[in-house]
Amino acid sequence: MRNAAAFRGGWLAAGIGLLLLFPLSSPDAFFLDVFTTGFLLAAFAASWDVVGGVSGQTTLGHALPFGAAAYACALLTSLAGWPLPLAVAAAIVLAAVAGAGIGALSAPLAGPFVALLTLALGEIAHEAAVGNTFFTGPGGYAWGGEGGIPVALPWRDASPFSSYYAALAFLCLASYGMLRFSRSGAGLILRAVAGSPITAQASGVPIARYKRLAFAVGSAFAGAAGAGFALHVGRATATDLSLELSFQAATFAAVGGCGTIVGPVVAALVLHVLFQGLSLPPSSRVLLYALTLLVTLRFFPGGVVGTARDLASRLGGKEGARPPRRRGRNRNGEGTP
Amino acid sequence: MNALLSAEGITKSFGTTPVLSGITLSVGPGEPVGLFGPNGSGKTTLVNILSGLLLPDAGTVRFDGKEITRLPLDARYRLGIARTFQIPHPYPALSVREAVRVALAADPGKRTEGGGARENEEGPAEDLLARTGLFNQRFVPCAQLSQGCLRRLEFARALACRPKLLILDEIFSALSAADEGDLTALLRAANRGEGTAFLLVSHNPPLLKSLCRRILVLEEGRIVREKTV
Repeated sequence: MRNAAAFRGGWLAAGIGLLLLFPLSSPDAFFLDVFTTGFLLAAFAASWDVVGGVSGQTTLGHALPFGAAAYACALLTSLAGWPLPLAVAAAIVLAAVAGAGIGALSAPLAGPFVALLTLALGEIAHEAAVGNTFFTGPGGYAWGGEGGIPVALPWRDASPFSSYYAALAFLCLASYGMLRFSRSGAGLILRAVAGSPITAQASGVPIARYKRLAFAVGSAFAGAAGAGFALHVGRATATDLSLELSFQAATFAAVGGCGTIVGPVVAALVLHVLFQGLSLPPSSRVLLYALTLLVTLRFFPGGVVGTARDLASRLGGKEGARPPRRRGRNRNGEGTP
Repeated sequence: MNALLSAEGITKSFGTTPVLSGITLSVGPGEPVGLFGPNGSGKTTLVNILSGLLLPDAGTVRFDGKEITRLPLDARYRLGIARTFQIPHPYPALSVREAVRVALAADPGKRTEGGGARENEEGPAEDLLARTGLFNQRFVPCAQLSQGCLRRLEFARALACRPKLLILDEIFSALSAADEGDLTALLRAANRGEGTAFLLVSHNPPLLKSLCRRILVLEEGRIVREKTV
């Protein structure tokens, strides 16, 4: 087991090392931008996995907290004049609260009904953002609609290198946080709720509370990615709330391995860099994502990480050990036979 | 003797079909009670109502002097009423040890009472697994367990909250003689060693007679006989 952990750690260190060194190879600014966006999308995909994979709440509206945080960042900095760090913090809190609200609405539902509810909520938010130029900015420019809302940034032109490294640092921190959460006691209970809600409830788990927690935590991380994306591109647009974005996150999770956190991160990075790096038109990218999803679901239902784990567990067994001496006591504090 | 669990006038219908008609029963502290009846007599519906999975149309359920009629399944578990299912629903992605840890993690108060364990500690889980004969299967995914091991896991999960009352729905059905013997010994140990009361649903009269002090006979949604063994 230790060897496997060292093996995984080695791969992880090598991957991060390569990503740290990549900008030193003097790449085109376009590729740095592709990677920067990829890091943010990877964190977003992992946040989908907290809700849809670890907790089994299949959401098709995960762009909602992402876009809500992006819009909150834009509105709070440009309209209310908040300092950027405060606006980002507020945006993340807003995303978490929105997530908890979605969790509360979906708590009595299961399976496809959770997907339909989240899809409907996401589409309502998207349509509201697309169809309304709800504010007038300086100089009489209409804000909102397709053009979105600008973020008031305290810097003029951020260097692609600093954006790259900031996004990479964010991805590492966010992934670590989500991984820790998924492996915590709460994460274990969420995996139980995902596997068998009735057995979890019969084990004393208040499943509605844990569903809200899953949506709140996943949405907070999605919101952080959304705020980061708004800072990177300098504005929040209706695309940040689109169904396509939610679909992308779900696809990355399915391809990488649902419930693994690391899998969706790797899948998002590889697929985004590949498809975006080839400068394919958006319609072709959607087709390629759909095709990748179909192939994965048909031939590797556990995704890349799930399939690798299955192979590893088939190749190596777990050792047994002597059971511990019983320490059971009755309610009077007496040892049991 | 004050009843640990009491149900009065429990009535339940599904659509226009009456399933339970004015059931009244009680289980005393530490008392082993059996529930016997033919298929379709309403045993599982009654168990579902007593454990909080279903709401009755009429009637009240009390536990330890408190009315719990509308309390859900998880809250009743935390109070000390643990139930097992006739058909176990294992967690497909969790190992046996993780499944037990979920039940231990659900009630911090009882866990501390049971030895000061924290959420990630494995002492109480290992103890329960050793006690129920699942220690060597602790890393096996629940989905790969045999029927006998699944029943043992159900039992381990139920014992994790140090229950005052166990509600066991057909836990001995479809078991090998060896598994049945082991589970019988476990149930006796919980009852006699720890003073845990139980309501055991079974189709097997000799088994009920060997384990229970009182047997209730349910027919067509009514308790028609009560035998003291």
